[in-house]
Amino acid sequence: MKTIEFYNHKLQINKEGILFWLEKEIAIVSDLHLEKGSSFASTGQFIPPYDSEETLKKLLNVIDNYKVKKVILLGDTFHDKDAFHRMPSKVRFLFEELIKNYEVIFILGNHENKMKIDSINFYQEYVVDNVRFIHEAVQENINQISGHYHPVASIKVSSKKITTKCLIHTNNHIILPSFGVFTGGLNIHDPVLKPFISQDSNIYFLTKKSIYKFSNKEIESQY
Amino acid sequence: MSDNFKLQPIQNWLKKNNWFFYDHQLETLNQSINGYDILLIAPTGGGKTLAGFLPSLHDLINNNSPENKLHTLYISPLKALTIDVHRNLTNPIEDQNLDIRVETRTGDTSSYKKNRQKNVPPHMLMTTPESLALLLADIKAKEYFKSLRYLIIDEIHSLVNTKRGDLLSLNLSRLDTISPNCKRIGLSATIKNKNSVLNFLSQKKKSKIINIQEKSSPKIEILETENRVPWSGHMASYAITDIYKKIKRSSMTILFVNTRAQAELVFNKLWHENENNLKIAIHHGSLEKEIRRKVESLMSLGKLDCVVATSSLDLGIDWGKVDLVVQIGSPKGIARFLQRIGRSNHRFDEPSKALLVPSNRFEYLECISTIASIKANLLDEVKDKDGSLDVLAQHILGVACSNPFQIDELYLQIKKAWPYRGLKKQNFKEVLEFVRNGGYSLKHYEQYAKIDLNKNNLYAIKNRNIRNKYRLNVGTIVEAYMLKVKLGNRTLGQVEEWFIEGLNEGDTFLFSGRVLEYQSITNNNIIVRSTNNSHPKIPSYAGGRLPLTSELSFQVRKLISKKEYWKNFPNQISDWLKLQFKFSALPSTEGLLVETFPRHIKNKKRYFLICYTFEGRNANQTLGFLISKKMQRMGYKPISFVATDYALAVWSMNEVENINIILNEDIMLDDLYEWLEETPLLKKNFRDAAIISGLIERTIPGHKKTGKQVMFSSDLIFNVLKKHEPNHILLQVARNDSYRGLIDLDRLGDFLKRIKNNIVHKKLDRISPLAVPLVLEINRQTIDKSEVDEYFLEELENEILLEVGLN
Repeated sequence: MKTIEFYNHKLQINKEGILFWLEKEIAIVSDLHLEKGSSFASTGQFIPPYDSEETLKKLLNVIDNYKVKKVILLGDTFHDKDAFHRMPSKVRFLFEELIKNYEVIFILGNHENKMKIDSINFYQEYVVDNVRFIHEAVQENINQISGHYHPVASIKVSSKKITTKCLIHTNNHIILPSFGVFTGGLNIHDPVLKPFISQDSNIYFLTKKSIYKFSNKEIESQY
Repeated sequence: MSDNFKLQPIQNWLKKNNWFFYDHQLETLNQSINGYDILLIAPTGGGKTLAGFLPSLHDLINNNSPENKLHTLYISPLKALTIDVHRNLTNPIEDQNLDIRVETRTGDTSSYKKNRQKNVPPHMLMTTPESLALLLADIKAKEYFKSLRYLIIDEIHSLVNTKRGDLLSLNLSRLDTISPNCKRIGLSATIKNKNSVLNFLSQKKKSKIINIQEKSSPKIEILETENRVPWSGHMASYAITDIYKKIKRSSMTILFVNTRAQAELVFNKLWHENENNLKIAIHHGSLEKEIRRKVESLMSLGKLDCVVATSSLDLGIDWGKVDLVVQIGSPKGIARFLQRIGRSNHRFDEPSKALLVPSNRFEYLECISTIASIKANLLDEVKDKDGSLDVLAQHILGVACSNPFQIDELYLQIKKAWPYRGLKKQNFKEVLEFVRNGGYSLKHYEQYAKIDLNKNNLYAIKNRNIRNKYRLNVGTIVEAYMLKVKLGNRTLGQVEEWFIEGLNEGDTFLFSGRVLEYQSITNNNIIVRSTNNSHPKIPSYAGGRLPLTSELSFQVRKLISKKEYWKNFPNQISDWLKLQFKFSALPSTEGLLVETFPRHIKNKKRYFLICYTFEGRNANQTLGFLISKKMQRMGYKPISFVATDYALAVWSMNEVENINIILNEDIMLDDLYEWLEETPLLKKNFRDAAIISGLIERTIPGHKKTGKQVMFSSDLIFNVLKKHEPNHILLQVARNDSYRGLIDLDRLGDFLKRIKNNIVHKKLDRISPLAVPLVLEINRQTIDKSEVDEYFLEELENEILLEVGLN
C-alpha cells in the first residue's frame, strides 16, 4: 500500500489497483468489465468465460480484509448492456455477495449507457466531502476520482522497457487503472490522456508484488 | 528405352539443349506407371523436379489433356519455388507447343486470377500448403479436385514434422477421399529418417523410395584471411574485402547469411567495397514481393554478379549459373547447408563449391566441424511429432466450410493423415466441440456456435461469414505484427512492430540495402527518409538464427578439448585457446568448467556465471531457465541469460557463491514443472496455438480492426485458462510445442549426473577470452519477465529516493 495525499485526505492504493479511503470506510475501484470474455462469442471468438468470476473473487478477497462499508465502482462495471444477464450462476452468486455485504455505488460508464437493471441504480456522479466520483475525467477544476482510460505506463530501466498498469495522480485528478482481469490498457502518453498529466504528476506502477512511484518527469528522463 | 514411354516432345527439347534423361528420372516414370507412389531422394541439381513431373507430363501427352480439368497439383513450401518451377516447366511446354496449361496460385496471386482458376482450372496448378487448404475449403472443392491424377510435393522433408506439414497431411487425406486414384510423388533432399517422410507422403502398399546418392562430395573451404577474426558478433565485417575478391573472380555468387540483419549489413558493406560496379542485389523475407520477384528473375537470367540472401532463397530454386556459394556464419545444420551448396554448379556430375566465412571465433570451430561432419556423412534428424491439435481445429472448420460432414467419417479420414494416426476419438471430439462453440455449454456460447448439426445429422457451418473469417485465419505460420516501411510513396517492405519500439525519432537503420532515418509511425506505416549517415543502427529482427544440431556441438567439443587438433587452426584461433588456458582453464571432456566474474553493464555492477556445457542450444536454454529459477529462489536476482550451442551465461544483481547448489540435479525435479508453467516460451506457443486454432483472430496488416474486433491479448486468456482448465487442448498444444522446441531433458539429466563432483569453478576478476563471444551475444533470453521487472523497478525507485535524499 502507498499513501496518496489528496486534498487533505489520506487515500491508499493497493497493488491490485483498489483505492481505499479508510477514514470514510470506502473502497474505490474502476472498470471491472464483467463478462467481457463472453461478449466475444457473437464475433465467433469463444474466449473462455471465466473472467467475471476471477474479477469478482479478486475484488472480494481484497476488500474483505479491510474495514470498508462502501464500495464505489467508477463505471464500466459491466462490459455491455447484456452482460448482467449473461453472468453464469456462480458469478451471479459472487455478485450478490458483493451487494449484500457492502453498500455499492454504481457510477454509470460508457459501456453501460443502454443498460437497464431493476436492482441497480446507476449514478452519473457521486460526491463525498469535496471529492467527486465520476467515470470519465473532466477538464474542470474540481477534485475528481475517475477511471475509464485503463492507464498503463512504461518506464525504461537499464535499456529495458517495463510496462504495467498504473494510477495517475495530478493535482485535483486521480485516474484509476482498470480492475477487470480481461481489460487492456492505454499508455499515459497517449494524446487523449495529455490534458490530465503534467510534469510532476505521480505515476504509481502496479506490479504483482508491489507498487512503485515515479513522477512523470522521472519517467521521461529515463528515455 | 525412351520409346516405350512416348515422351518425344520432352526428349526433343532435351536434345536441343544437349541434355539427356537421367536414369532416376526414367525410373521414377517407370515406377509411377506401375502404380507406385514414390519418394525421390536426390541431391539438389539432380533433375529432381523434372523427374517429379515426368509421369504427369507423360500422361498428359499420351492420353490427351482433359478439357479444363485439374490434372496435376504441385505443392511447395515456398512461393518463390512455385514461380521458379512454373518458369522451368513452361520452357519445354512452350518450346514444343504442348497443349498443357500451367499456373501458380499462392497468397500473392490476384483475386481475379484466382477466380478464373476456379472456373477454368489449369492442367497443372502450382501452389503452397496454405493455398491448398483454402481451395479445399471451397464449396466446390470436391468437383474441383475430382479429376486430379498426380500430386507432387517438393521439398517434402522440410514440411514433415512441422505444423505446416500437419495441415498438409490432413488435406492430403481429404484429397484421397475426393480423388482416390491420384498418384503421389514426393521430392526430398538427403535426410536421415527416410521412412517417416515416405509414410507422410503415402501409406499405400505400393509406395517406394528411389534414392540417388550424391555423386561427388562437395568442395568446401573456410575463408583464409589476413584480417583478425573477431571474438564475437555475427556480421563478418572483417571478411568483406576478401569476399568481394572472390565475387569478382566468379561469374555468379550467392551469399547466404542466417538473419535479415546480417543480410542488410553485409549488403551495405559490399556496396562500399564495390569499386568495380558489380551488380549486387539483396533478397530477404521482409522486402516487398515486387522487389524480391525482380531479384529472382534477374538472377535466373544471369544478370547479377551476386545476391545476398537469407533462407528466403533457401529451398530448391534452380539456378544453374551460380558458380560460388558463400555462407556467412555457421550454417547451423548440415542438411540445410548441403542444400545451400547445391545452388552452385547446378550440374549433377560436378562437385559443388562453397566457401564458409565464420563471423566469430566460436563459429570458426563450428565451420571446421561442419566440414568434418559432411565428410563423415552425418545427417540431421528431425524428431517425429504427433499432429498438433490447434492445426486439427483449423482443419475441421475448413472441412465444414467446404461441405457438411458426418462425425465418424471425418474422424476416420483424419486418422489416415500420418501425423494423426494415433488420434483418440475422445481428443477428436474435444477439438470438434472447441471449434463448435469453444467447448462451453453456456447458452450464450451455444447461440453463436460456428458449426452445428443440420437436419441431416451432418455438421455444417452456421453462416457464410464463418467461411470468410476462416479464409483470413488459415495457415500455421504466426508472424509477429508487421509494419510497412514507407519512403515517400514507396513501400520498401515490412519490419516487426517491436523493432520500431526500440527506435527514437531521428535514429537511422539499414533496410532494403539503404540507410534510412526513422521519422514517425502514421496509420500503421513507418515513415522514413533517406540519409547519408554512415553509422546506422543494426536492425535486430526476430527469427533467423537457426539452432545447431547436436552432432555439430559434439564435434566442436571434441575439437576444443584436444590440443593436438589446434595445430590445424589459424594462429589467431589457437592463440585464443592458449590465452584461455593461461587466463582461466580449458573446458574438459568429462567435467564442467564454470567461470564467475563481475562486469559492469551501463554503470551497474552485475555478476556473470558461465557454464561451458557444449550440450547444444536447447539443453543450454533449458538449463538457463532452471538455473535462473533456482537463483531467483536463493535471492541472487538473476536478470537474464544467453544460451548458445556451447555455453550458458547467466547474469545477476547479486553474486552466486555456491555453484554446486545451483547445478545440483534437484533443479530437474523441484523446479521443472513450476518453471515450465512460467516460461515466456509457453506463453508465446499458447498465442500461436490460439491463433492457429481460431480462438483469437489474426492481426492482418492493413486491416484496421474496430470496436469488438480489437485484438484480444492471449496472455490474459492464458492466465485464466491455466487456473480453470489446466488441461485445455490449447494448453496441451503449447506445452507439447515448448517441450519439443526447447527442452532436451534426457540430455540435460545425463549431463547433470556426469558433472556431479566434477565441476571446475574459476572465480575470475574479469571476463575470460572464451566468455567474450557469449557476453556480447545479442540474442538475449529474458527470464520470467514480471519477476525481473520487479528488481529493476525497485532498483530505480531506490536510486531516485537516494538522489532526493529520502532513503
